[in-house]
Amino acid sequence: MKKIGGVIISHGQVANELLAAAETVVGELGHIAAVSIGWHDDVETAKNEVARAIKKVSEGNGVLLLTDMFGGTPTNISAMFLEHSDVEIITGVNLPMVIKIASQNKEMTLSEMAQAVESQGKQAIYRASELLMPQKLKKDA
Amino acid sequence: MLKGQVVIINRLGLHARAAAQLVRLASGFQSKIKLIRTENSVIADAKSILNVLTLAASKGVKLEIEAEGEDEQAAFDAVQEIFKNGFGEL
Repeated sequence: MKKIGGVIISHGQVANELLAAAETVVGELGHIAAVSIGWHDDVETAKNEVARAIKKVSEGNGVLLLTDMFGGTPTNISAMFLEHSDVEIITGVNLPMVIKIASQNKEMTLSEMAQAVESQGKQAIYRASELLMPQKLKKDA
Repeated sequence: MLKGQVVIINRLGLHARAAAQLVRLASGFQSKIKLIRTENSVIADAKSILNVLTLAASKGVKLEIEAEGEDEQAAFDAVQEIFKNGFGEL
């Protein structure tokens, strides 16, 4: 089975640490890479690093680029790959999104995977007290 | 279909690594395996880690296990066992 590759791209060390956390949970992830862009890194250098990472994780079915924030440098650098590479970008990466890419058990197209990761990422945000302590919220209202 | 109840006994509850362990185990069976938190009617597919985590099952929480399929007995026993072992954290 060919997996969709994943590259997490962030400011600072967030990308590396998100990947490390996901690997702690589900085990080693050969089809996901992390690129942490330093605050003062040159754009060309960062772009080359992203290109290398895409090449490394690609199994031929496309690569999903997970960036930290829409409008930020990691997303803007990722956008340079949209035209000529088989990639999609999802912004606002969180740990559940990385785990979603990690646990692929059937072959999906890049577009299907992108949709699944986007909705997973949104669904995974909870105001936890609504679920766990609804009586407390009622009191505050 | 087999049904039964388990209680979370390890201190950290059904946290991410424990859930991953459960999902790896469950994925080895053909049967459909569901975990149900009856008090707030959350149902999770035991083969999906992100689904299992939505149970938010801390220590003391009771869950129903449901297994259905050709190997349901083995699946049910294995899943029940991992809960009884507290995910190896006792």
